Amino acid sequence: MADRSDLKAELERKKQRLAQIREEKKRREEERKKKESEMLQRAENVSEDSDLDRRRRETEALLQSIGISPEPPLVPTPMSPSSQSVSPPSETGSQESIDGGTVGRTLQWDTDPSALQLLADSVHGCRMQKLGASKIVQIDFMPKELVTYSKETQTPVASHQPEEEDEELSVTKSEPVPLQLEEENSQEAEEVHPRELTNEEKEQTTHSEDFLFFFDRSIRVMERVLAEDTDIFFDYSGRDMEDKEGDMQAGSNLSFNRHFYDEHWSKHRVVTSLDWSPQYPELLVASYNTNEDAPHEPDGVLMVWNMKFKKMTPEYIFHCQSSVMSVGFAQFHPNLVIGGTYSGQIALWDNRSHRRTPVQRTPLSATAHTHPVYCVNVVGTQNANNLITVSTDGKMCSWSLDMLSQPQESMELIYNKSKPVAVTCMAFPASDVNNYVVGSEEGTVYTASRHGSKAGIGEMFDGHQGPVTGISCHNAVGPVDFSHLFTTSSFDWTVKLWSTKHNKPLYSFEDNADYVYDVMWSPAHPALFATVDGNGRLDLWNLNNYTEVPSASVTVEGGCALNRVRWASGGREVAVGDSEGCVWIYDVGELAVPHTDDWSKFARTLMEIRANRGDGEEEGALELPA
Amino acid sequence: STLTPFAEVEDTLKRIQGINGVIGTIVVNAEGIPIKTTLDNSTTVQYAGLLHQLTMKARSTVRDIDPQNDLTFLRIRSKKHEIMVSTDKEYLLIVIQNPAE
Repeated sequence: MADRSDLKAELERKKQRLAQIREEKKRREEERKKKESEMLQRAENVSEDSDLDRRRRETEALLQSIGISPEPPLVPTPMSPSSQSVSPPSETGSQESIDGGTVGRTLQWDTDPSALQLLADSVHGCRMQKLGASKIVQIDFMPKELVTYSKETQTPVASHQPEEEDEELSVTKSEPVPLQLEEENSQEAEEVHPRELTNEEKEQTTHSEDFLFFFDRSIRVMERVLAEDTDIFFDYSGRDMEDKEGDMQAGSNLSFNRHFYDEHWSKHRVVTSLDWSPQYPELLVASYNTNEDAPHEPDGVLMVWNMKFKKMTPEYIFHCQSSVMSVGFAQFHPNLVIGGTYSGQIALWDNRSHRRTPVQRTPLSATAHTHPVYCVNVVGTQNANNLITVSTDGKMCSWSLDMLSQPQESMELIYNKSKPVAVTCMAFPASDVNNYVVGSEEGTVYTASRHGSKAGIGEMFDGHQGPVTGISCHNAVGPVDFSHLFTTSSFDWTVKLWSTKHNKPLYSFEDNADYVYDVMWSPAHPALFATVDGNGRLDLWNLNNYTEVPSASVTVEGGCALNRVRWASGGREVAVGDSEGCVWIYDVGELAVPHTDDWSKFARTLMEIRANRGDGEEEGALELPA
Repeated sequence: STLTPFAEVEDTLKRIQGINGVIGTIVVNAEGIPIKTTLDNSTTVQYAGLLHQLTMKARSTVRDIDPQNDLTFLRIRSKKHEIMVSTDKEYLLIVIQNPAE
């Protein structure tokens, strides 16, 4: 029971405590509320204190400093911020003033703000508002500019620079700068000062590989474009109809088309070999030998020329340290060019690489060639092809283009087990990969084969009295097969027609007055072949027309010796290389177009030839087994 | 030997300049600053700036139509001249020609 009473007492006490706390709380809240209201009032008062009040205070302060005490207290009266209160105090103040201030109703400010301030401070101490003259801030709000792009201002022309700079300065001073304006500024800033590159920087750029690559590519394109002079605006109505196609002589058999010559690389070099690209019929590669006048230049030069465009510069220029004696496009590898050099090396160039030097070279070793290679030929098919090369020491090597470090097979071409044959030219009959014919320095021609029981030199064909310079197998495909025929040219001023079945020539063409340097059958016409000689003459022989004289003949300008002749794959153009480094392209007219009866005509011609030959003296003529 | 050696760059530009009808050749870098030129300075700067912008615009046009595409060559034929611009990512080669009549 005592506990309960105790508990009760405790409870009572706690209740009282709670009540007290509540009261205190209430009181505090009330006080707070009061304070808040007061504050609010005060705040209201303060907020109501506009500039006007502030100024009033300042006025009063000033007045006091001069000696006029205001009647109302300095603490601003909350409820009467009216203009009325301003004047009465000053009036009363002025009336009451006894000090020697003697200020009239209208106060006249002392214009010196610093004096006022000093007085104010000294007389009234800390109560005074600190006064000071404020710096006049002139804020200019620029009118909102309409951003227009005028081309002149954007172009970084030197003469406009100062104007733009001024504009820039004035614009940046304004404060609310719209974003567009800022962008334009930055753009203008960049363009206003188009960093002029110093000479060193320019040199550096032009030496960089990127630039050279770009330049190489672009110049190629640009030259083609520049060379085109077709006038797209030609007006047929109002102008003289000048015949612009004076070059094409309609109906002529052999007409000059163009020539390829490069001032730098062609000069003083002899064109040693020509080949047309099997893939792009307009591309022609020409190889050149050394330039005696320029010993520091590479000895061997190749240039790939383009017939399609009128520009006079080669598509590609390749170099080699040794003279290139024979060249050919790799038939089954469109990007590769193969060259046989004077040193015996076979060099391989790739037009995908940006180098001018060969990407691959065969080694100079006894397993390969050690003598000049005058014949290179790719034979075979897409999947199984070989590069056949023969050098003047009678060595024939067969290579795989993937691996030029050593030949796949090599063979000495020896006739009759005596000395090797000094091969100067070689030809494969159409679609034959095993048997071929070679011409030698002694004037004899041999057949040879790569594989088989009779690998090596086969038959000998005697007839020429001087070194054989060119040999060509018949390769026009038609109803009658003439693939056993081949022609040879020689220093003995003659061109001879042979058949692999006879070891004596079928016919000898003796219309030339100088060394005949090359001969080639037309790829299209069965009875047509071209020859070139040392007098600068290009002859076309059509055996269906005449066998005594060429059907068409032209002497190339300049009169220098012509070293090589190559028909284009269509049989309509002939490329001729001369001894001065110039490549001439001639168009062949109607003469080159084969007719269906040309084959049978040629067969008859052959029979006639054979018959005539049979009548003439023949010593040691043998009918050879096919 | 490497690519077109530098000396040949000079020769090539001279040769281009010698082609009948060619008025001038300018090589411009990616920022529109001329690196090589055969014209006088003010003309060069003018051409370089204007053509650089036009090329940029043309390039963006081409790429807007097809993002995989890019501008390679630009040819402006006017009454008096033909301006040819060969371009890649970084440089411009500008040739001004008076097409021979």
